[in-house]
Amino acid sequence: MAVSPSVLYPASYEAKVTSTTIKPDANSSENSSYQQNQFPPSHSNNEREITEQLNDDVRLKYIKDKRLGEGTYAVVFLGHLRTKPASFVAIKKIKVNAEYKDGLSMDAIREVKYLQELSHPNIIALHDVFSSKDQNLNLVLEYLPRGDLEMLIKDTNIHYGAADVKAWMGMLARGVWFCHENFILHRDIKPNNLLIAADGEVKLADFGLARSFADPYLNMTHQVITRWYRPPELLFGARQYSGVVDIWSMGMVFAELLLRVPFVAGNTDLDQIAKICEAFGTPTEDNWPGVTKLPNYLPTDSSHVVPLQGRDFFLRQFPTAGPVGADLLMSMCTLDPKKRSTACRVLQHGWWSTEPKPTDKKNLPRKPDGIEKMGHDLTRRGGEVDDTTFKNAARQLNFSGARG
Amino acid sequence: MPPARDAMANRGDDDEVCPVCKSSRYLNPDMQFLINPECYHKMCESCVDRIFSSGPANCPVAGCHKTLRKARFRKQTFEDINVEREVDIRRRVMQILNRREEEFDSKRAWDDFLEQREEIIANLVHGTDVAKTEGDLQRYASENMRSIRANQAREAQEASSFKEQQTHEQELARLRREAAKQEYENERRELQASREDVLTRLAAGRPGDAAAIAREGKKVLLKKSSARRSEEDRIRQKQAALRNSDARKAGQAGTAADKADAAGDSGLIKGLKKIVTPEPEKPYDPFGGIIPNKRDYYTLRDYYPSSYLDPLRQDTRMQAGGYDLQEYYSRTLMEAFAGLGCFIDEEVAQRDPAGSLGASGSVATQGASLAAVSTAGTLDPS
Repeated sequence: MAVSPSVLYPASYEAKVTSTTIKPDANSSENSSYQQNQFPPSHSNNEREITEQLNDDVRLKYIKDKRLGEGTYAVVFLGHLRTKPASFVAIKKIKVNAEYKDGLSMDAIREVKYLQELSHPNIIALHDVFSSKDQNLNLVLEYLPRGDLEMLIKDTNIHYGAADVKAWMGMLARGVWFCHENFILHRDIKPNNLLIAADGEVKLADFGLARSFADPYLNMTHQVITRWYRPPELLFGARQYSGVVDIWSMGMVFAELLLRVPFVAGNTDLDQIAKICEAFGTPTEDNWPGVTKLPNYLPTDSSHVVPLQGRDFFLRQFPTAGPVGADLLMSMCTLDPKKRSTACRVLQHGWWSTEPKPTDKKNLPRKPDGIEKMGHDLTRRGGEVDDTTFKNAARQLNFSGARG
Repeated sequence: MPPARDAMANRGDDDEVCPVCKSSRYLNPDMQFLINPECYHKMCESCVDRIFSSGPANCPVAGCHKTLRKARFRKQTFEDINVEREVDIRRRVMQILNRREEEFDSKRAWDDFLEQREEIIANLVHGTDVAKTEGDLQRYASENMRSIRANQAREAQEASSFKEQQTHEQELARLRREAAKQEYENERRELQASREDVLTRLAAGRPGDAAAIAREGKKVLLKKSSARRSEEDRIRQKQAALRNSDARKAGQAGTAADKADAAGDSGLIKGLKKIVTPEPEKPYDPFGGIIPNKRDYYTLRDYYPSSYLDPLRQDTRMQAGGYDLQEYYSRTLMEAFAGLGCFIDEEVAQRDPAGSLGASGSVATQGASLAAVSTAGTLDPS
């Protein structure tokens, strides 16, 4: 789709394009200064000509306006279609990274690979991909001007209720379910990866850590998902896991939406395990068969064993969710991944049909200046916590040696 | 004496005799004349009682064969029977054609409507095209029952709220007057008291203090009056604010009522605003319109025997990590069947029903669809 030759251009560009295709020899001398200084045309390789031509076609569809944000990994620009100045897009330019001198960074490849496949109202749309000068990769993404869920959670001036939480969770759950239905793990669900579109729709963004479901016996990395949202099986170093890792993250987002603070926020991985045990109960062979066999499992003091928390704990801790909501949260935060709800089961839960009805997306609470936030969110690398107080605690992801 | 007044005086004399029973005011001083809006023939109360008490009967006036009912007889409001009749017709038409200016798209449409209404009234008054006009009117009334009712209710409400507001304002004015009166009274009393005070002090004090005492008394008075003035200002401002908020509330109520109205399309009146009734709220669909677990060509089983996968079921580590074989089954089967049943030429035909594609185009798409199916068939399911 990115390099479809059947796109329409304004008349002036069409003329240029046709002239270049008819007379490839006159290409360099005749026209288009942009081509000349960016891609020195090589007449020897005709195939290369065509790919360059196609790339230029896509590149010239968009105009970069202003810079929205810059991170170590990418720069995000506000852009628009050349033919339609009112149609905004976000152009994410991936920086040529020192770590990946020989090729593209893993995050960029993952993002392009999976976003290209997914088309759903609750997943950020990837309109086009092109390369600009120095072979920089540019992703043309949907423009989501209303910031993210983290911003709404943190802003104490914004008040929201159970109906709003239900609407947001519904959109998140739909997005995650669609990913899983297409056999893609997102592996970095957290409030600041949930961007909000102009109409209030929540969109799952940042597929830099996504991968497709692994084949049997294939190892996946456990160093994914931002720590606070990482499920216990990943903290214990499981290498074969399933879609329910995303459900745990969803449960944490749900809890955070209700409490307006991260529910289990550990400073280190060990601290995170300790906090999870404290909050939900200590995993044992009884409530989670085989947990002791996991690579990074740490046997806990038998005096410190916290019993598995029941329904009344969730009801007490999250009174705003109501009894049915607490039940759903409990099913999302089950320690044993085998017993945790799948995305489909989450959507089949009775909570969605109980009162209060989810708020209509256009009536959801909003915050005016979300554009900057979007720029900021899109430049972040997957798995990083960008809270300054935890900057030192943030883990650098090490993909060398990891297969997925 | 001008002839017109003369004629009126004469008619006045005529009125004193009932045209039916010929009894006159002279014989029966309490005699009252009644009319029926069917034919507007006048007769005295006793005639109405006599003729119509036992049910509907024909009008006793010679040549008039209208059937009249007693319930509809009433007193005449206007002296001129034609005016009386026009007012009646006007009232009836206005009750049916009770559209309001807000309901029209433009000022022009509203003016057209007003003109049309006047024309209908004039037709009925002067007896031109009566049958057709009446027919139109009845049809309109039956078609737009609901909006007519709604507008009537709104009018009644407006009238009552106007009355309420008026009484409210009167009450406020009365209170203001009373307060002012009270104020004046207080002031007078105080003045008197302070004067007396000064006098008694002057009487009691030494002659040298007279000037000082007088000055003091004046100062106290001045202070009091200025304090009172500022107090009055404050009250006035408060009241003004109250009045404004009242007015605003009334305005809001009006616009809210406008929106509640749902009007049908009428053939008679043009230029009405289209009123969109909001669609009934659909139940919340958590899946957002996509049917979960929909598989066209296969059903997913819980277990497929395989020497490759079976050891996995015994691997506690994989089980503890949550690896789900079901996901693998689902994915494998989906990939095996992906592309089956995709008929590109059908899809193209659906997308492009005009069939503008040439013969070569259809051949090409058919070829593509064949290719797609064949590749899908050869996909390795593992």
